[in-house]
Parts: sequence; C-alpha cells; structure tokens
Amino acid sequence: MAGINQPSGWQKFWSKEDWWAVWLGLGIIILAYVFYLAGSSISWIAVAPAKWSTFSQLGAQFSTNAIRYFALLGACLILFTVVISFIGQRPKAFIPSFIFVFILSTVIYAAGNWDQASRYNLEPPLVALVLGLIISNVIGLPRWLDAGFRVELYIKLGIVLLGATLPFTLIIWAGPVAILQASIVSIVTFLVIFFTARKLGLDNRLAAVLGAGGAVCGVSASIAVAGAVRARKEDPPIAISLVVFWAIILIFALPLVSRTLHLPTGVGGAWIGTSEFADAAGLAAAQSYGGLAGKGLGISGTADQALASYTLIKVIGRDIWIGIWAFVLALIAVTVWERSEANSKVHVGQIWGRFPKFVIGFLVASVLTTVIVHGNTLADYNKLVKPSLIAPITSLRTWAFTFSFLSIGLTTRFRELANAGIKPFVAFTAGVIVNVILGYILSVIVFGHYWSSVVTH
Amino acid sequence: MKIFNSIQTSNSGPICQKCAYFQNDPVLIEQVYRGLTAMSSGFASVRDQDGFCNYHQLYLSARDSCPRFALRGQ
Repeated sequence: MAGINQPSGWQKFWSKEDWWAVWLGLGIIILAYVFYLAGSSISWIAVAPAKWSTFSQLGAQFSTNAIRYFALLGACLILFTVVISFIGQRPKAFIPSFIFVFILSTVIYAAGNWDQASRYNLEPPLVALVLGLIISNVIGLPRWLDAGFRVELYIKLGIVLLGATLPFTLIIWAGPVAILQASIVSIVTFLVIFFTARKLGLDNRLAAVLGAGGAVCGVSASIAVAGAVRARKEDPPIAISLVVFWAIILIFALPLVSRTLHLPTGVGGAWIGTSEFADAAGLAAAQSYGGLAGKGLGISGTADQALASYTLIKVIGRDIWIGIWAFVLALIAVTVWERSEANSKVHVGQIWGRFPKFVIGFLVASVLTTVIVHGNTLADYNKLVKPSLIAPITSLRTWAFTFSFLSIGLTTRFRELANAGIKPFVAFTAGVIVNVILGYILSVIVFGHYWSSVVTH
Repeated sequence: MKIFNSIQTSNSGPICQKCAYFQNDPVLIEQVYRGLTAMSSGFASVRDQDGFCNYHQLYLSARDSCPRFALRGQ
C-alpha cells in the first residue's frame, strides 16, 4: 500500500540516514587508515581551498587542483546517490541538486579561507546559512531541488568523522560532566516549557512536544515525542516552526555573545551545546565560534575544542537520551493523560528504536583513531599521523558540515513554516530564556574549567 | 503496578503498522511536515516507524493499537 514503510530484519541497517552515516563515516576512516598504513594518504581526494589573499592566487589553486575537486565531487555523488537510492528517494533529482550544493559549498569554503575573512566576519557556517536563506526565501528554488538538501545525512556523517578527532579518553573523562550538565538544563527547560504551556491552556501532548523540542534535541526530539505520546497531526509543525525560528536566531546570537565575553572556545562550545536545539544548528554556531580562535580577538583555545565540547554536551549529554524521554513521556501519556483509552500500552522497544544510531559511529570512530594513535610519540604524531590521517578526515568533515549548513538555509522557507500561535510561542520562548541562562551558568561558571581544557587529536 | 501493565515488549497483534488507516512513508512525512528537513529528517532513527493515523488524525507509533483497527489489504 502507498505510504507504508516497513523495513524488516537487515533492511533496517540501510533504511535510515543514521546507519548510512555510520557506514560512510567508518568506511572513510578505515580507508584513510589503510592508505596511511601503506605509507600514503587520502589527502589527494580530501582537497580543500587553502589560504589566499588575491583572486589570482585562488584561481591558481583551483586550476592546479581542478582534477582533485572533480574527483571529490564524483566520490560524493557516488556515495550519496547510493544512500539516496537505498532509502527510497530519487537519484535523478538528487544528482543535479547535490552538484548545486557542492559548487556553492566550494565557494563558501574558499571564502572562509580568504585572509581578510575574519575582518569581515565571513565565518563559513554563517555565510552558508545566510546564503541558503537568501536563495530559498528571496530568490526561490524549485521544490524538486530539495532532494539534495539532506541536512541530517550530512551533519551525521560529519559527526561520525568528528569522532575520529576526539580521543576516546576525552569522551570517558568529560562524558559524565556533559551528561550531568545537559541533564540539569534539559529537565529544567522541559518543565518550564511544559508547565508554561499547560498554564496557557495548551493540551498535555502539545506541551510535551514543545518541551522536547526546546529541551532535548530540537525538531528530532519534537517529532520523536509526538509519535510517542500520540500527538495530534497538527502539533509537530507548531514545534518545528518554533525550533527552527529560535535555532536560527541562536546560531548568530550565541557566538556573538560568546565573542563579546571572550569565552574560551571550549567553554563557548559547551554553552552552545546546552542551549542550541538541533545538531546541525549547534555545529554551525560552534564551528563559527571556534573559527574565531587565534585571530587576535582575545579568544583562547582552538577551533576543535569548540566542536569537541559542543558535541560532548549535545550528542552524549542530550541526543542519546531521546529514546528514554520518548518512552517516559509515552508512559505518562497512557497512564495519566489518557486513562480512558483502551489498549493503551507503550512498547519498550522504542528506547532502542529511537536511539540516534549515528552516535555509534561517532564512538567507534573515536575508539578506532585512539587505538591507531596510541603508541606514537608526539613528534611522530605531528609529523606523520596528523597530516596523513587526521587532517584529510578533518577536511572531509568540514565539507560534510558545509553541505549541511548550506542545506539548512536552502530548506528553511519561512513562508511555509506553520503559524505557531502566540501561546506556544510564549511557552517555548520561556524555555529558551531559561535554557540560555542556565546553560551559561553551568558552562561558564560551574564547569568552565572542564570545558576550557578539553584535548583533541 | 499500573505503570508496568502499560508496558509491552512484543509486536504481535493488531498494531497500527498493519492497519489500513496508517501511513508512515518517510517521503510522505517530509511532504506533510514542511520544515522537518530544515533540522531533522523523515529518515532519522528518532522517528522510528511513526506515522499518521488517518482515522484519528494523530501522529503515532507503528506499535500502537486501538479498537478501530482495520487490517490493510482487506
């Protein structure tokens, strides 16, 4: 029957974008390691624009490396088209759309490496987002082009590759702090949104969907909890609109305030991790803030520290618990909110069913590179391992993130977002305010010393 | 305790996934929920196999059930 998706058995491992992010990400890391062991590197195909100051320099770069850029485009097209085909989307629409994304991403990546970029605040994630928003909302694009704007696929692949640059020891060391900090903020924020919504007369299920969106992991949490608590069909779009609206504002606001306060990159990344909603939006903000390090702006730390602390808080501290949030809220829905409904049971399988599987790839990637790097002296690491193995993976990660940030802008059509209404807006905004303030207190004042000292590969 | 009676571990019986009123194609979900793909996806794990109940006009889990079940294909 049309409209039914019922993967069974092994099909589940190639019907979700999460699993594909795991297969692609770990595949890239293993391939990089094989080349490294053979005394070579995947850096040839992991090409990226280098620093430039004049257009003639930029032109020379592209003409010298044209074949590498075409090879990278070709490799991306092959891999992503395979994914698109397996998950049941349309390759014929995806291919031209992705070429469009790749060309724009190349321009954005190059703009970010202009030696005057920081003077004009041309942080690539923000440029990608703004460019995407202008194209989709002012110029307009045909709907079929959306096929290539797969925000979540690209960001999940990028996060798996990010795992390769985080020592597993860091995850073990900082994980409990990340979980504690994120849990405090998530629970408080959820309760603020939920009870404000209830006070304003909204029903329990919509209040829960809003709360999950503002407290756990944005649109993904809203849609997960909506299914778990049996929300009305019209409830998720309300949460989607509010999350997207506030997430885009915070992409710009959090780095701007962090910059004003001269927060170390690790601390800024942690604050963004507790206060941003979606993984992609938060990574845009964190990468943007991390990019300000070492530019004479009084911001200490490294770009990778911002990404590391953000990812620990957001992925380990918040994302992985979505199944439990959904299960608990589902239980409350059937035992407290819907006492009269027959056959009201909650399946415990949803805890694993809803688990964001890309996190497995992130953790495995971290373990893999930690094992690979172990035993090397610092001199060997800096001379051999970093340039041959870690650097190309980092380059591919940046490409994946850029695809995602651009796609956020290209898919955010403000005219199409549902009218949330004043009551949901007030409830959600109350949560945003509490979230940002509490996140600041915990990230900067209570746990600032942890986040300012995260160590990456 | 009542809360334990509300938990199930099996997928047998007349669940929404087998019902004629249920639709959960990820492409359909993305088309209906405009804005979903801006920061999530119909193909994300968090969505599990959730979908629309066109009888009750709800968005719910494929593992749910209700007395209005109608076997698909009949």
